Amino acid sequence: MKTGRMFRGFFVKTISFVGYTVQYGCIAHCAFEYIGEFVSCSGPSMEPTITNHDVVFSERVSRHLCRIQKGDIVIAKSPFDPKMNICKRVIGLEGDKVCTSGPSDVFKTHTYVPRGHVWLEGDNLRNSTDSRSYGPVPYALIRGRVCLKLWPPHNFGVLAESPNDGRIL
Amino acid sequence: MFRGCLVKTISFVGYTVQYGCIAHCAFEYIGEFVSCSGPSMEPTITNHDVVFSERVSRNLCRIQKGDIVIAKSPFDPKMNICKRVMGLEGDKVCTSGPSDIFKTHTYVPRGHVWLEGDNLRNSTDSRSYGPIPYALIRGRVCLKMWPPHSFGVLAESPNDGRIL
Repeated sequence: MKTGRMFRGFFVKTISFVGYTVQYGCIAHCAFEYIGEFVSCSGPSMEPTITNHDVVFSERVSRHLCRIQKGDIVIAKSPFDPKMNICKRVIGLEGDKVCTSGPSDVFKTHTYVPRGHVWLEGDNLRNSTDSRSYGPVPYALIRGRVCLKLWPPHNFGVLAESPNDGRIL
Repeated sequence: MFRGCLVKTISFVGYTVQYGCIAHCAFEYIGEFVSCSGPSMEPTITNHDVVFSERVSRNLCRIQKGDIVIAKSPFDPKMNICKRVMGLEGDKVCTSGPSDIFKTHTYVPRGHVWLEGDNLRNSTDSRSYGPIPYALIRGRVCLKMWPPHSFGVLAESPNDGRIL
């Protein structure tokens, strides 16, 4: 009799624990979805602005209000792997003319960014796989706009402008 | 009295945010109801039909050839499109029409899918805008809810010859 009551009490505690976890998990998920998230970046494609193992804060508000602008650094889902994210700078919005040839090419080639797409390039042009190889990326793949660098502490703050300003036409 | 009213308002807002978040996560991880418009999926789905689109397959990457999916439009991030998956990454798809003499084919790139509407004559799909990234898919349509006489699981593709 006493064991039965103990078991029932334990069961009720487990259910309410699960209930609270689901509740606060949902609230946390919505905070990451609508406000912003912390992202740990890896790879050399955004050097010197963002280096390997930097932690940045990516806000979601601009993306939901469609206020991403040229020159913004964005986190987007990779067009080639739906489970991976990429971190690049927006060089052109829909309708913009972008330069598809390298800075050292003799003949410059251009293309126009189609409707609903953006042109992304890494700051480290020599070591970045971006729209120059896979073409413009649909705007809907963008997750958020990187607005603050949080780690390492000596680099804390707002991120620098594009070092390749000549490429933003 | 004013303090009581303020406390009531704050707790009302608190409960709304709480249950709003739970509802949002239910739509995000379980499924959502979608009202379809347009002729591109006739006769399987007609204008003003309401379908249920589940999110589990998409999150577990279990979308298969022949599935009807809801995806974000590659040309308008605020709009959704409803088409059938005709090819997954690496598949060979037919890019020419059924009545063309010379058949042309292409391969679907990694991380992309090839979508076509069931109503081939009246559908803007991958035949015009190319394969779309898998990450644009929102969910898999599994049940038609409205109109009641069509309630149930959706039909197979009427264009079976196009799935290679």
